[in-house]
Amino acid sequence: MNRYPKHGQSEQDNTLALKAASRRNLASWALSAPALFWLIVFFLVPYIIVVIYSFLTPDIYDVNFEFSLAAYRQALSPQYLSTFFLSFRLAILTTILCLLLGFPVAYFIARAKDKTKNTLLIFIIIPFWTNLIIRIFSWRIFLAYNGVLNDVLISSGLISQPLEIMRTDLAVVLVMVYVYLPYMILPLYSVLEKLDFTLLHAAMDLGANEIKAFFRITLPLCAEGIFAGSLLVFIPALGAYLIPQLVGNQKSLYLGQVITYKIKNIPRNWPMASALSLTLLFFVAVLLFGLFILYKHQKARRKV
Amino acid sequence: MKKLSISRFYTGMNLTIFSLVMVFLYIPIIILIIYSFNDAKIITGWKGFTLKYYIQLWDNDSIRQAFSNTMLIAGLSTFISTVIGVLTALGMENKQFSGHKALSALIYIPLVIPDILMGVSLALLFNFTRVNTGMITVLIAHITFCISYTVIVIRSRLEGFDYSLVEAAMDLGAKPAVIFWKVKLPLMLPGIIAAALLAFTLSIDDFIITFFTSGRGFDTLPIYVEGTIRRGTITTINSLSTLMIGFTLFLVVVTKRIRKILISSL
Repeated sequence: MNRYPKHGQSEQDNTLALKAASRRNLASWALSAPALFWLIVFFLVPYIIVVIYSFLTPDIYDVNFEFSLAAYRQALSPQYLSTFFLSFRLAILTTILCLLLGFPVAYFIARAKDKTKNTLLIFIIIPFWTNLIIRIFSWRIFLAYNGVLNDVLISSGLISQPLEIMRTDLAVVLVMVYVYLPYMILPLYSVLEKLDFTLLHAAMDLGANEIKAFFRITLPLCAEGIFAGSLLVFIPALGAYLIPQLVGNQKSLYLGQVITYKIKNIPRNWPMASALSLTLLFFVAVLLFGLFILYKHQKARRKV
Repeated sequence: MKKLSISRFYTGMNLTIFSLVMVFLYIPIIILIIYSFNDAKIITGWKGFTLKYYIQLWDNDSIRQAFSNTMLIAGLSTFISTVIGVLTALGMENKQFSGHKALSALIYIPLVIPDILMGVSLALLFNFTRVNTGMITVLIAHITFCISYTVIVIRSRLEGFDYSLVEAAMDLGAKPAVIFWKVKLPLMLPGIIAAALLAFTLSIDDFIITFFTSGRGFDTLPIYVEGTIRRGTITTINSLSTLMIGFTLFLVVVTKRIRKILISSL
């Protein structure tokens, strides 16, 4: 844009430029006002209420405005810490499995011919744009006791008794990977697509083998995609409700389920739901901050 | 020669994993579609072909209501969040904007927080302010989670924007309003369409935030489906799901233009 003043102009021009800049600033405020207003009122303020509610005492349907630390004491008790542990374990497992399956798939698509690339991408996008609850439901039909998988396995003589996969932790992990896999593949694809494969050939010409070239060149250059994909899988996986609710068992409850029950089931316990939510938020914030520091550190090291 | 064979091994491995992942991604969906024509009331083996669950689907008033609720919420939240997205993206074009950092934080933070927390916080807001939950609260919630996406998608389009066209129009003496409507907006259009499609899909797809912000009597399709699965009367869910998958296929595959925009917006 050449609306900015050039060097060596008179003072009058400078004040004019300043006025123009402040006018542009004002215009920016006006244009962003709706978003700013909306996000403050419906994103920021609700969290303040969550903080307030976490220090109150529960009532059967509502809250009593009496100060209490009971919710936090309970949230940090061994019983609920084990719920956190379960949810983190599930999220980590899902992320690793998505990465292991997603990387070869993204690599394969990125190295395909330009015409086939788009077709292959569409095959990844279709499940991604299909309704979440339908994708989960389809697994219930597939895995159920009288479901298709058991039918096929029994009629082919591989097993004599139906497998009980539905309502197990295995089913939860399976469906989690199924649902979140596209979130891993798409960012990985977008870095791999831009990857300069001649670097790989150069490394191998200089005597590196494929494995070494992969770990020394491909992987570091894909770091951003791996990072983005892992976050896109890990963060929603931490708060998953629908998948464990529909295909998991009711013995091992995950965090999303516990929080939802505290709000939806009677007697309600809103302070408890608030305290659990804020604890989760704290863990996520620590994680993100750690990753941010690591990212800055890596970036600084690469510059040297 | 040896290197070549290793290379082939890796390509073969990638192809194998790709094929397995395709099977993994599509088997449940294909089975669901086939079983929507199965003449059985519960999940069981193949009992013969029928279309009766599609007819039942048509006759079911609560499904029709849930469908129109879903479309109403998706349509309105897409429109409002896209308009806000366009305005905000234009406002943030100015890098010297003094509210740039704060606004960026407000836009990006909701994306890196588990969505269940937005549901909880909005449920508490509506409880605290004693607002009756229903259509309006669901609409507010959907707009809130769509805004981040629309702003980011439209902004990313503006980043690679060719300002020489705007300058050319200015040099030719076009008025600012004319430049905006005739030059800038048409150039932004692919980004706006991509943002709107994303918002629409997110809105139709959402379960958890709607679950926390809808009261009794206002069901969207995902809420209705979940309730039906919980009660165990799933006969019409297969046929409903098949129709919804058909809708997705129509959007992604048949409409070539939309497909192009989707791929370029990745």
